[in-house]
This record gives sequence, structure tokens and C-alpha cells, in this order.
Amino acid sequence: MPLLGNSPGRFQRSATSAMAPGEKIKAKIKKNLPVRGPQAPTIKDLMHWYCMNTNTHGCRRIVVSRGRLRRLLWILFTLTAVALIIWQCALLVLSFYTVSVSIKVHFQKLDFPAVTICNINPYKYSAVRDLLADLDQETRGALKTLYGFSEVKSRRRRGAESENPAWEGIQPKFLNVIPLLVFNETDKGRARDFFTGHKRKVSGNIIHKASKVMHIHESKKTVGFQLCPSNDTTSCATYTFSSGINAIQEWYKLHYMNIMAQVPLEKKINMSYSAEELLVTCFFDGMSCDPRNFTLFHHPMYGNCYTFNNRENETTLSTSMGGSEYGLQVILYIDEEEYNPFLVSSTGAKVLIHQQNEYPFIEDVGTEIETAMSTSIGMHLTESFKLSEPYSQCTEDGHDVPVENVYNAAYSLQICLYSCFQTKMVEKCGCAQYSQPLPPNANYCNYQQNPNWMYCYYKLYQAFVQEELECQAVCRETCRFKEWTLTTSLAQWPSEVSEKWLLRILTWDQGQQINKKLNKTDLAKLLIFYKDLNQRSIMESPANSIEVLLSNFGGQLGLWMSCSVVCVIEIIEVFFIDFFSIIARRQWQRAKEWWARKQGSPCPEGPPGWRGQDNPALHVDEDLPTFTSALQLPPAPGAQVPGTPPPRYNTLHLGRAFSSQLSDTQVPDES
Amino acid sequence: MKGAEPEAPGPSPPQPAQGLTKGDKSEQPGLDPEPDTHWQRTEEEEALIEFHRSYHELFQFFCNNTTIHGAIRLVCSKHNRMKTAFWAVLWLCAFGMMYWQFGLLFGEYLSYPVSLSINLDSDKLVFPAITVCTLNPYRYKEIKEQLRELDRITEQTLFDLYKYNASSTLLAGARSRRDLGETLLYPLQRIPVPPRPECGGGGLKCNRDKSDCFYQTSSSGVDAVREWYRFHYINILAPLADASPSLEEEALGSFIFTCRFNQAPCTQANYSHFHHPIYGNCYTFNNKNDSSLWMSSMPGIHNGLSLTLRTEQNDDIPLLSTVTGARVTVHGQDEPPFMDDGGFNLRPGVETSISMRKEALHRLGGDYGDCTQDGSDVPVQNLYPSKYTQQVCIHSCFQESMVEQCGCAYIFYPRPKGVEFCDYRNHSAWGYCYYKLQGAFTSDSLGCFNKCRKPCSVTNYKLSAGYSRWPSVTSQDWIFQMLSLQNNYTINNKRNGVAKLNIFFKELNYKTNSESPSVTMVTLLSNLGSQWSLWFGSSVLSVVEMAELIFDLLVITFLLLLRRLRSRYWSPGRGPSRGICDLWSDSDTTAPEAVLSPMGE
Repeated sequence: MPLLGNSPGRFQRSATSAMAPGEKIKAKIKKNLPVRGPQAPTIKDLMHWYCMNTNTHGCRRIVVSRGRLRRLLWILFTLTAVALIIWQCALLVLSFYTVSVSIKVHFQKLDFPAVTICNINPYKYSAVRDLLADLDQETRGALKTLYGFSEVKSRRRRGAESENPAWEGIQPKFLNVIPLLVFNETDKGRARDFFTGHKRKVSGNIIHKASKVMHIHESKKTVGFQLCPSNDTTSCATYTFSSGINAIQEWYKLHYMNIMAQVPLEKKINMSYSAEELLVTCFFDGMSCDPRNFTLFHHPMYGNCYTFNNRENETTLSTSMGGSEYGLQVILYIDEEEYNPFLVSSTGAKVLIHQQNEYPFIEDVGTEIETAMSTSIGMHLTESFKLSEPYSQCTEDGHDVPVENVYNAAYSLQICLYSCFQTKMVEKCGCAQYSQPLPPNANYCNYQQNPNWMYCYYKLYQAFVQEELECQAVCRETCRFKEWTLTTSLAQWPSEVSEKWLLRILTWDQGQQINKKLNKTDLAKLLIFYKDLNQRSIMESPANSIEVLLSNFGGQLGLWMSCSVVCVIEIIEVFFIDFFSIIARRQWQRAKEWWARKQGSPCPEGPPGWRGQDNPALHVDEDLPTFTSALQLPPAPGAQVPGTPPPRYNTLHLGRAFSSQLSDTQVPDES
Repeated sequence: MKGAEPEAPGPSPPQPAQGLTKGDKSEQPGLDPEPDTHWQRTEEEEALIEFHRSYHELFQFFCNNTTIHGAIRLVCSKHNRMKTAFWAVLWLCAFGMMYWQFGLLFGEYLSYPVSLSINLDSDKLVFPAITVCTLNPYRYKEIKEQLRELDRITEQTLFDLYKYNASSTLLAGARSRRDLGETLLYPLQRIPVPPRPECGGGGLKCNRDKSDCFYQTSSSGVDAVREWYRFHYINILAPLADASPSLEEEALGSFIFTCRFNQAPCTQANYSHFHHPIYGNCYTFNNKNDSSLWMSSMPGIHNGLSLTLRTEQNDDIPLLSTVTGARVTVHGQDEPPFMDDGGFNLRPGVETSISMRKEALHRLGGDYGDCTQDGSDVPVQNLYPSKYTQQVCIHSCFQESMVEQCGCAYIFYPRPKGVEFCDYRNHSAWGYCYYKLQGAFTSDSLGCFNKCRKPCSVTNYKLSAGYSRWPSVTSQDWIFQMLSLQNNYTINNKRNGVAKLNIFFKELNYKTNSESPSVTMVTLLSNLGSQWSLWFGSSVLSVVEMAELIFDLLVITFLLLLRRLRSRYWSPGRGPSRGICDLWSDSDTTAPEAVLSPMGE
């Protein structure tokens, strides 16, 4: 019934157009369908009619209750129920995108992760010495001048040293590019270039303020260097270090990257360790393995790294048993003599456990392994799956992140951050940073082509760390990832009693690779294994579905008002369509009336009072001219309102309501 | 539409309503001959609240207008007994089902179930506070005077018990073994252990009158000596503890050689210093809760804290420090560093790289679980100037019991106001008391573990370490040279005098385990509504209808009783109350106008 409320008018209209047979239908419809609902003459009637007939609870009581207080209370109850429904449904909608987490533990055969092993020292010092000869020499010179450190006690390098005369004779090229400076506490803003001895004015901002406490007791001086844009010496950035060790290492690294950036990749691979050298023995799952099971991966800062169980190797290996016997067991050869003295200060290897298609960020998250020790790493696998949009901000494979992936590996947050930085670096400085892969159409930075890349790089890195590059805002985490929780334990290896025979056999084994007697401190043993074969997966699943939401809606509607979707439609119909149709109809009639009055009697009489019997109920609505009426005849400036009392309102529409005729046909005869 | 005359001046009354009310009050149709004026009057003068005149009327009204589904059939269809009975059974069944379901739903809700949710967020992280300790409380030279007596006795005991002839390097003073022994209470004794041929060392702690003694035994002599030494050491240093905290304050440079965070040197603003009686000088980095907190916006070894530490042990206290190296612990900014509980020892000559992974846990408090938001509702006073953690609470609780029972405060925990640290010059029996108390504490008869509730939100850092030798053979020359020039490092110590430490975030993803109520009020209401609709099709408003009905019933009963009483006792001709009686006695037509206006009249 309520749904049909609007239909009689429509039927009538169509019936009049259909003429002769239509007349019959019209009569029939008139007879069968009582004219109600929107045909109610006033809004009050409409409301009354609605309240009497709706199925929604509460409404009927408003009408049938006796007593003003009772009625008021019922209105309050009903409105409260409506408000509660809206509030509760809003809460339901807001909490729609929540997830529930399930944790499952599987006991199964587990895929062994990829294991990347690097020597901490990137290149054999004997191989790169030629390339770095000048730099090393200048570094030693700097050490000597700054700290009075002489090389006398150095046993091994003496030979190389003696070939070169005192370094003062040579024109230093590295110290000219970026001079090491000594900052004196006493005169701020001035620094002494230790090589030339000139005092130079330090302008610009000193970025790293050294702390007072960290100072050397007797000499209140700090060491640092200054990076300037080539053409402009006023906006230099000065870096000071509280400790000379850091200053020297940082300074060395800068120049080292410059030099290495110009060396072709193949040469670099040759300069670094081969798989046969690094890996002395290898055991996996109780079976012997050899360097062919490892794939080469060249890292700019760590040289040749070797990845075990990489995807490129036929199939992914898996373990069927937990425990150290069934994992990977390798003995690494760490040639301490071949270490670069200034670039790296610690001895050992780095190990990283990662997924097969993941890029090994050995620099950041690798675990160090000590020489002369046996390091056991027990793993426990946890797999996480997150739901992406709209539940969280994660990304499935990074295709929707506006950062180009410069790595040849699957997307990860880390990759995104570095790619973002590298892209920005190429954009701002014109060249790429050495420790990250090259984006297309870019070269690694070096002095010859980009004289002030270092300044640019340091500035950019500073901005990056302070999140001014917006990389952190753009990059999003991945939705699914595996992580291996590691437990590391150490033991002295080899033991005193086994040392002798073990070292001898290994020396004999590696005879063709290494032409020297192996020492205890040249070796490191590494065991990587699953502690147990329990795989924990953390999975998110939507906590709500549309069905649950709808049934919750239904519950709320039913609880407070015993309402349903049909009721809601009914409300929409009555309160929006019918309501407005009544208002529109009335406005239309008024406009017509006004127009008729205007036409009919331009009688100049009295003040424009609203005479005659007016309907107080209709006073609420102001008699605004509709658009059409205003357009047809703009009221003349001196026009007077007709003096004839207008016809009674009530008679007008009550009559119409009864006759159920089209209203527009009637207005003219009345006026 | 039927009753509206064209002349009606009334403001278009609700006609259907009129029809209905007319039907309802059909008993008195001729009461008012002029419907129009009557209607106008009701509109304007309708009473505030009106009641029905009889039960019959009330029920008829209710049956006509109620929205409760089964109830209509049950109450209102009285024509057919069979039908009524049938509906009564059905209604009861539905009613039973509904309340059974309601019971289940409420039972579920009131058990306050929680569901675990795991959030993986990645964000830039605040670097936690790092505390590094020297593992050597005082320079031996400086404290030798105070410890002279103790060392002498220890040495003699060692000789007596284990025939260990301490070298003269340990003690410079001449030793006369004869004349000591009585200076210290609580001698170390060898206690024969019956089942084993070996003998364990043990300490004897007695109360004041020596009536009740308490033997502290340990199977290894080393442990016994250390424990014993430590006990006396505490006693000796108790008065010293607050006297000279600045003993090595200026010596940070001689403990921490280099310090960098995110490639930038540390500044004075980044650390604070305190002195721990066992672990020595401790430096807490990044502890100051201000804007200059360190943030990690990148994971990795270069984006963390890197320290080079001195681990030389020239002037360690020989009998106290049996470990060399340094101790580090990672804790939150507003948590005190518990070096005992969450420490990590650093080996000399090794670069220790500690990678961290942050994890947060949020529990729901209140009805959902037993946890406390800020510790204000825990009956233990927080002695630490920090936020509530369970460990803080347990230590405070122990200290409280200690002060209560022994009258003095244990030196390793902060003391409450007005209490001094234990020291057997003032509290001769405190050792006995302490060991007794500790026994009670571990068996939880102090109730500390019950009193101290879990905090609702906990952040912890999972640490894993990697080690590499540092410095390398090739670089050690210049590094040692540099250290000796800068920091007075003695080169002869080689690797044993330095250690390097890197602490960094392994990843910026952090896991937040949080609990959320698995049945919220909204879902409970939804479920109730679903059940209710399913079985009854009524709503809260129907209940209000019922309430109204009951209210009406009561009022009508009251009024009827009143009327009956009046008509019985205040019969006509009873004097002063005459008018009212009249009013009530013929109330059928006019009387209840104000109080109870029958059916809209």
C-alpha cells in the first residue's frame, strides 16, 4: 500500500492520454485504489496517514495515544530509537574494515632460505693496492701529520712503504679535493688545513657539532672535512668527527668509492674472492656441497658475495629435519692479511638469510661471524600475510608505489627506500651513488665527471634521514613476508686438541687455492639450520563481510523499531517523495492563484493586506514566486496587489482533494 | 476525509485519527452534538495525560494498537479457545527460544572474550635508550682504603679454605694472619656436605642473638667467595653510595672512545650518567625525554648507535669483577635500566652488532583482563622515577618489605624517603633478614607477584647479535695508535682493551599485538535484535508499549479503587467533601476532565 501511494496520479495521467478505453480503466483504478498518501491534502494528513499504516513500531502510538505528554513521550521514544539505530549502524559501518588474525602452526618440510655470505673485506688488498696506492699513501701521511703515527711498527707493509719516499714530495691529489681539516677549540670558525698549514676560514654551517665530552684530553682539536660545491666556497658543509678514527675512515671511504666507481665490474669481480677461496668446506642436509651450489652476487661495498640455494639454482632446497646436522655447514676462509686497513676495521664474514627473490641487504641487516669461532644460527620461520587496501596500507608487489625499483629483485620496503634515494640522487646530483644499483641511463658518481657529487650526496642524505625527500611517505610495506627469527650461539673453534689435524687437513685441501699455511684466525665455521620444522603463519582475514554487516543492520533495525528495509523505503517514499510532492503542489497552486489574481483584477484598492479568510495552517509557507511566474511577468514597480479578497484556501484544496481531478484544470474556473 | 465540512474553521484536523477515536469512544456518541467544536476543544485542551476508563477499554486499545506479534493473537483472539491455546504454546516456545538465545549471547558477552590482532606497521622509530656500563664500579686504587680490611680477610679465608696463596700484588700491606677474623661478622665456613665428598663453601648469617642461623651454601667455592665478598662489599659501600657519585663523571672520554649515531657524533645532550654499585659507571644514551630524541628513519648498521668502549681492566676490583668487558642494555626512554635483568655483555676485542626489532603489546584492561594502565591502582609505591613496569613494581615491592622487616633499604634498589641503606654497622642483622626475605620473595609469600599486575601496554625490543673481531690485524696498528693518542689507550693491551658496539634496527616494521573485544556492545545489540526479530518481531518500543500498558493498568486500578472507596464511604450527604464526591460519583461524563479525561473528552 504505501509503495503505491504515488501511483494514482500517474495512472490518471496515462489514462487521460489514452482516451476512450482509458476512461474505463481510469474509473476502475479510481474505484479500486483509494486515493490516499500523497493525495493527502496537507503534510499533517500525510504524517497521520503514515503513522497509522506503517509497520514501524512507535509511530502508531504517536497518533493513537491520548494526552499531550503521552504523545510527546512517544515522539521522544521513536526519535530516540531512530537516533540509536543510526548511531549503531554508523558504528558498524566504521568498524567494517577490521581484520581478524589467525595464527597457524604447520609442521612440514620447510624450504631452506637463501643464505648470502660475504667477506667483510671487499677486495683482496694485494689486488687493489695499485688502484689505491695514492690514497693509502696520503692517508698514512695524514695520520702521521695529524697524530704522529709512524708506520715503523708495521711489519707487513714496510716493504711497500719503503719503495715510496716520504710522501711530502708528491703532490697529493686526494687531499686537495677534499682536505682534512683540524678544528681548534680555541678559535671557532677557523680551521687549519693540516697539509698546507694554511688557516682557512670555515664558513657555512658545521653540520656535525662534536661534543665537548668526547674530546681528547690534552689537545682540544677535532678533525673533519669540508664539502663544497665546486664553484661556490661560501656554502660549504663541514663535517667534524669527535674521533679521528671515524674521520679517517669516513674520509677514506669517500675517496674509495670514487676510485671504485670507475673500475669496471668484471675487474672488480676478479679482484675479489672467488667461491673456492671463500668456501673451504660445505655440507647441506648431511650431503656434501661445493661452490657450484653458490651463485655470485657482487655487492659494491662487500665485493663478491655468494648466495646458497638461490633460485637460479634449479630447485629450492628444503630440509626435512630440524637440528644443526641437517642445515648448512660451511667453513669460511677469511684471509686477514688481505684486509684493507682503512676501509674495514673488523674481521669476519657477514651472513644474511633471506627469501630467494629478495635482495640481500648485507650492509644493513647482515649478521657478523667471528673468525676462530663456530657460529650456530638457529632459525624459526614466521610467515605473515596482511590484507591490502582498504584494510591497510600495504602493497602486494609494489606496482602501485610511485617509485621505480632499481633493484633486480622483488619489492620490499627497503628496496623502495633505496630506489627512491637513488632516483633522487640521479635527479639532483646527476649521478648515482656507488653502493646501490644503477638506474637506467645513469652512471656512478666520480670526481672526473661530477666534481661536487660528494657535497650533493651528503646534503641529500641529510635530507633523506630527516624525511625531507618524502621517500618514507611514499614507500609502503609489503603485504606478505617471511621472516626468520635467528638465535645465534658461539663456541671456540677449532678446539685446542683438534686444531692441529684440522688445520693441516684444510691446508692440504685448499692447496691449490691458498698457498699458505692456514691459521686458526683465518677460518670461521658457520652452521645455519632450522631449530624445528614448525612454520608459524600469521594470517589476516576480514572480520566482517557484507552478510554480517547486513545481518547486524537487520538486528539493529529490528531491536529498536522492528523496522526492515521495506520500512526504510517507505520512510524515504513518504518523507521525501510525498512530502515534497505536497509542497510542490501547494506552491504550484499558490503561484497559479497569484497569477490569476494578478490577471483578473488590477483593482487599485486599499493596502495590500491579506484579506479574506486565510488559512492559518498555511501561513508557515511563504508565498514565494516560482521561477516561471517570475519570468513571465516581473512585478511592475508601482503595481498594486489586487484588492479583491482571494478565494478561500480551504475551499480550494479541500474541494480538489475530493474531486480528485487534476488540479491545473480547475484553477482557471475558480478564478 | 469523511468528517470534514467545508465550513470547518479548524486547521485541517487529522481525519483518520478522528475516525479512529470516534470508533473508540463509541459508547458515548451523543455526548457532544457538535463534532467540530468538540474537535477544536480536544486539540487545544487535551489533557496532559489521559487514562482509559475501564480495563476493557484499555485492553481493546492495546489490542488494536500493539505491535507485539504473537501477543496480539494470544490476548486478543478470544473467540476460539483452540486457537488461543495454540497461540499460547507457540508464544511460549518462541519466548523460551528467545531467552535461551539471549542467555547464550549475554553469556558470551559477559565472559569478555578478546580477539588478538596483529598489526604490522612501518614507521620511523624512536631509538630506544641504551645504557652501557663499565662493569667496574670503582677504581681499585681509589677505593682500596675502604676495602683493605675486607680484602685481607678474604685472602686469608681463601688461604685457609682452599690453600690459595694470594700473590702480594693483590694486597700491598703486610699480612698478619693471626690477628684477624673477629673483625667481620658472618664468617665464610667450609660446610661439609654429607652425600658428596666435596665440600662447599658457605656463608653463615645469624640474627642478633645468634639463636637462629641461616646457612647460605653454594657448591662451588668460587661462587661462595664471590657471594660472600659481594655481601661485604655492599656493606662497605653502602655509606659511600651517595657520597661520591661524581667519581668518574668526567671520565666518559676514557670509557667511551667514540660515539656516533646516524653517522653523526653524539653530543652531551644525548646521554646521562649514573653509578651502579656493581656495574659501575653507566651511561644512558638517548634517555632525555625531549625533542632531541634519536629517530631511526632507516634500518641498518649505519643508521644506529656505534660506540667504541674501553674495556681495560687495570684497576678492576679483583674479587668483585670476575667478568671483563662492558654491559649494555636496551630499554624504553621512561623505563629504568635493569642491568641485571636485560643486559648483554660485550667481549673485548670484538665488534658486537646488536640488531633490534621492536614489538609492542597492548592488552585490554578493565573487564577484559588483569592489567594496569599506569600503575596508579597497584598497591605498591613506585620507588623509581619512571613509569610503571612489572619489574619496577616487583623491585619496589621487595624494597617495601625489606624496609618493613629489616628496617633498612637494599642498596641495589632505590630507597624510600627517610630510610637508609643497609649496612651492618647500623643494622647488624640485615644480612640474615635479607636472605630470609629473599627466600620468602622467591616462594612468593610476600605476595609481590600478585600485587604487581601487568602493564597494559608494553614495548620490548628483540635483540640478536653478531660478532666480528675488531680491529682487524691490518688496521689495528693505526687504530690503536690513534686511540692511544686521543684517549690514552695503552697499546700493549692490544685487543683486550677495546670493544666496539653497534646497535641498530634490523627493520622498521614493528609488530603490534593488540587485543580487541571480540564481542562489542554494538554486535551484542545487533545479535539480540536479530534474535528478537526472529522469534518475536517485536522491538524495544514494543517493550515500552508493554510498560505503558502496565503503568496504565496500575493507574486505572488505583483510580477505580479510589472511586469505589469513595462511592462506598463518602455517600451523598457527608459534609465537606460533598463537592468532590459529586465530581467522582458521576464521573462518567464530566468529572475526570482534568485528572483522568476519559477517551479524549
